[in-house]
Amino acid sequence: MPKDLYDVAIIGCGPGGLQAAIHSASKKAKVIVFGKPRNSSLYKAHIANFCCSEKLISGKEMLEAGRKQAESFDAVFLEEDIIETKNENKLFSLFTESGETFTSRTLILSMGVARKKLRVKGEKRLVGRGVSYCVDCDANFYRGLDVAVVGNESAATTGAVTLLSYAKTVYLICRKLMITDTLYEQLRNSQVKVIQDTWVKEIIGTNDVEEVLLKNGETLKVNGIFVELGAKGALELAANLGAIFDAETVSFIETNRKQETNIPGLYAAGDITGQPWQIAKAVGEGCVAGIEATEYAKKLAKS
Amino acid sequence: MGQGVLDVDDNSFESEILKADKPALVDFWAPWCGPCKAIAPVMKELEEAYGDSIVFARCNVDNSPNTPTQYSIRAIPTLILFQDGKVVDQIVGAVPKSHLEGLVKKAL
Repeated sequence: MPKDLYDVAIIGCGPGGLQAAIHSASKKAKVIVFGKPRNSSLYKAHIANFCCSEKLISGKEMLEAGRKQAESFDAVFLEEDIIETKNENKLFSLFTESGETFTSRTLILSMGVARKKLRVKGEKRLVGRGVSYCVDCDANFYRGLDVAVVGNESAATTGAVTLLSYAKTVYLICRKLMITDTLYEQLRNSQVKVIQDTWVKEIIGTNDVEEVLLKNGETLKVNGIFVELGAKGALELAANLGAIFDAETVSFIETNRKQETNIPGLYAAGDITGQPWQIAKAVGEGCVAGIEATEYAKKLAKS
Repeated sequence: MGQGVLDVDDNSFESEILKADKPALVDFWAPWCGPCKAIAPVMKELEEAYGDSIVFARCNVDNSPNTPTQYSIRAIPTLILFQDGKVVDQIVGAVPKSHLEGLVKKAL
């Protein structure tokens, strides 16, 4: 049995994850929450339609208050992205961007949904012809070639480091890196060529990607470009655990009314289960997921 | 119908897909690829609905490197629709079911 075994691990610290943390921690479950508040879609929003709050509330303040509430019940918060998940022997292992591993009896996915596409000229036309959205899936097709990765956060940084084992040259294009110090050190000590303070303007190529034009005027000759915006999302983290997605969109995780997925011990709450994009829905689902996960973890602990 | 998605590899690709007497939709995938896992149930559902008229197959790019190279595949999942041994259309990524169904209906 791992030394630090949690009952409930939560990926995402938006309203769904916070409410789940509050409900599970208040029931004496050992809880850990991963994620960065500024990546919640609530962070920059103002809320006018949430029940029982007449005044306009700032999303940032709401997230801070939610965290304090959860912490008052002893939930632990770690402002790091999860880059890999595993499910073995009825336990979930979570690997952070700084290289630490955490183990939990249950896992609640509430990391929301984020934009994955760059929306620049040439991107759509060259998908599958050098434009990729998944380093883990497609790195192998770029053995010995030159590639670029674009993104400011953990997915792009870990992706660029991963690609070093396959590609000849790896560029990382970013405005400003927002990653932990440990990951930054790892990047700095690697062969990745970091190009900061700029962004992709256009992806150029006749049949396949040939060049990437940057906003600073520079042109990179590459065979491929990996678009890895933000943190790893549902398709990377949940699909690998075997979670079933809704067939209609293949974007959202399927749950029942207990917020259970098809995998025992794995729950999902908030935007990640589909529309509407509302705090009220996220909080409601987070509450159910928190309670259900806690009960499941307690039964598992006794067995 | 409902026979499941057929596994094909470099050796069987020609006989099962290129020389098939029906159109064939091939899902190029790998076990480590999250989006590939997400789309697998969609392929299964479509096979149950259209398996009489179209061959639904999948090719593991990890075990069969030659076929993906031949079709210049550089991202997975890539789904290619074949008819009479030729590429009719192709889709990259875990797309919605309706999108994939649209591709299938083209071949009916």
